[in-house]
Amino acid sequence: MPKCIIDGKEVEFIPGENVVEAAKRAGVEVPVFCYHPGLTVVAQCRMCAVEIEKMPKIQTGCSTKVTEGMVIKTQTENVKKARSSVMEFLLVNHPLDCPICDKSGECDLQDNSFKFGSPYMRSTEERRAYVDLDMGPVIQKNMNRCIHCTRCIRFGDEIAGIHEMVALKRGNNTEISTIDGKPLETDYAGCYADVCPTGSLTLKDFRFNKRAWFLKKTATICEGCSRGCNMELHHENNVAHRCIPRVNMDINKYWMCDEGRFNYQYIKDELRISQPRVLNGGEQQSAEWAIAISRARAALAGKKAVVLVGTDLTNEEGKILLEFLPKYLKGTPVFHFGTPGVTAVADDAPADRILKRKSKTANLHGIEKLGFKGLSVIPSGTEAVLVIRAGRAQIPDLTGVKNRVGIGVFDQSQTEDWLVVLPGQAFAEKNGTIVNYEGKEQKYKKALNPPENSKPLSETLMLWMNSQISGGVS
Amino acid sequence: MLVTRKTGFLQKGYMIEVFKGLFITMKHFFFSKKVTIQFPEERREYSNRFRGLHYIKAVNGVENCTACMLCPTVCPAECIHIVAGERDDKEKYPVKFEIDVLRCCFCGMCEEACPKDAIKLSNIYEMSIRERRVYDKDFLVEQRGSK
Repeated sequence: MPKCIIDGKEVEFIPGENVVEAAKRAGVEVPVFCYHPGLTVVAQCRMCAVEIEKMPKIQTGCSTKVTEGMVIKTQTENVKKARSSVMEFLLVNHPLDCPICDKSGECDLQDNSFKFGSPYMRSTEERRAYVDLDMGPVIQKNMNRCIHCTRCIRFGDEIAGIHEMVALKRGNNTEISTIDGKPLETDYAGCYADVCPTGSLTLKDFRFNKRAWFLKKTATICEGCSRGCNMELHHENNVAHRCIPRVNMDINKYWMCDEGRFNYQYIKDELRISQPRVLNGGEQQSAEWAIAISRARAALAGKKAVVLVGTDLTNEEGKILLEFLPKYLKGTPVFHFGTPGVTAVADDAPADRILKRKSKTANLHGIEKLGFKGLSVIPSGTEAVLVIRAGRAQIPDLTGVKNRVGIGVFDQSQTEDWLVVLPGQAFAEKNGTIVNYEGKEQKYKKALNPPENSKPLSETLMLWMNSQISGGVS
Repeated sequence: MLVTRKTGFLQKGYMIEVFKGLFITMKHFFFSKKVTIQFPEERREYSNRFRGLHYIKAVNGVENCTACMLCPTVCPAECIHIVAGERDDKEKYPVKFEIDVLRCCFCGMCEEACPKDAIKLSNIYEMSIRERRVYDKDFLVEQRGSK
């Protein structure tokens, strides 16, 4: 590999790489605002200035390609002066509302100002102020905080494939907005908040929810579709607060769709069933585990039953079911379900040109690989059904099936007339492995504690094995 | 160890020392300023920097606090609990602002961390209570001092 010299250190670089990336690998930080590794380079913030030997002036690190034997200096007086001047210009119009701003704590402007800026302010002029228009349900705009890096414009153009953000007016009066002030249309609007280096574009869902420094971060996998985007779940005190994409150049790069981003909300939904529930005289009531399980067994015993396995379960859970079902529910047909219209791996196709896939569950490919067959229609004459899922698989139309039993994560509104519902654990509450559409196996780790009275699938099945069928069936 | 004390003439005249001591005691008893005060009627002057009962400063009836969460961050006793919200006249304000005062150690770090000059520790030190008390926002926005 060719070599260059950064701050006296010899650094290997990949041909075509720019100075910022090469320096990052060498452990030298070059501050940036407008540069984003996933977007085109515009070199307009001038923050990444570096000195390069044999070049008369300082150069922008993001737009300069490293060449063999290049000598780059990032800590000279000239560079430091340039950085602090850039910081001063950016802060001329930036309001001092970090206490209000959701971005504070993870803000590039804050960090770089602290590291490279001057603690004193020379300007006494009034700062510009804008009236902000609504940008739809995902993004909250605050134009006063904007530093015109145009990352959002480039993200819309290049990644989301929709030119909806524009820069109006010029110079000091530049305003970033949508065309004609229309709300955002893209399904990837959450990424606008991720790419924004300041608090101009923030998530409405996360607005004033928690300060960034309180959040604990757990790496996990999105269970929104069969792509299996890498993401980080941010949580505190066992409450999930948001999800942000995690860089994985093989799968999702830097991005994530809104559906996956906000999918975590069902975990803390008030309607989520967290106690075993049984139907008593037309009304569902909480019950003891032992009673609920024997009721569940009774509901299926001696009837023409079908077992439906959600494709949102992990490989481990699928494997347990493969062991369990032939022994304890002998002769019952087993199908997998997940997304209406996607009954097999062959139906899974890209749903748009970016990330989304048609299968709206993460582990369709893994579950099918284990040997489960897809459900097209529930066989006629079915009297009882056992649904096992983890919260994401869409429950198929069960009209005509009288005895319904559920294991897993359910919503009260979905299961009002079900005989028994046994609470399980959602994706962030357990360890597991899922297989994405390319056959890539990915593990995720437990981030949150499950509701107190829920049990993992393995434990539920263990109780099932050891229980008796109760005499009274309601 | 065996100590042998002298028993000469000077040692036998110890009464002199006794009267000397008694004289000092009597001097303090009759002539010096008294240390105790008659508390509810008389009150002691405290320094302006005294850290007593908390309050949130308000200007024109609007609390200064913007729920930036710096005080719960810096609080070593973790006794401040804030929930932020939005309302028409203020972009961000504390919907809930609670101080679990039995946990509070009156270190005054919240006051120091506050960027909006909102949370204050007043000069009031009479805070004895019968049951565990959590100071809620309605209680805290009463102006109890001029800090």
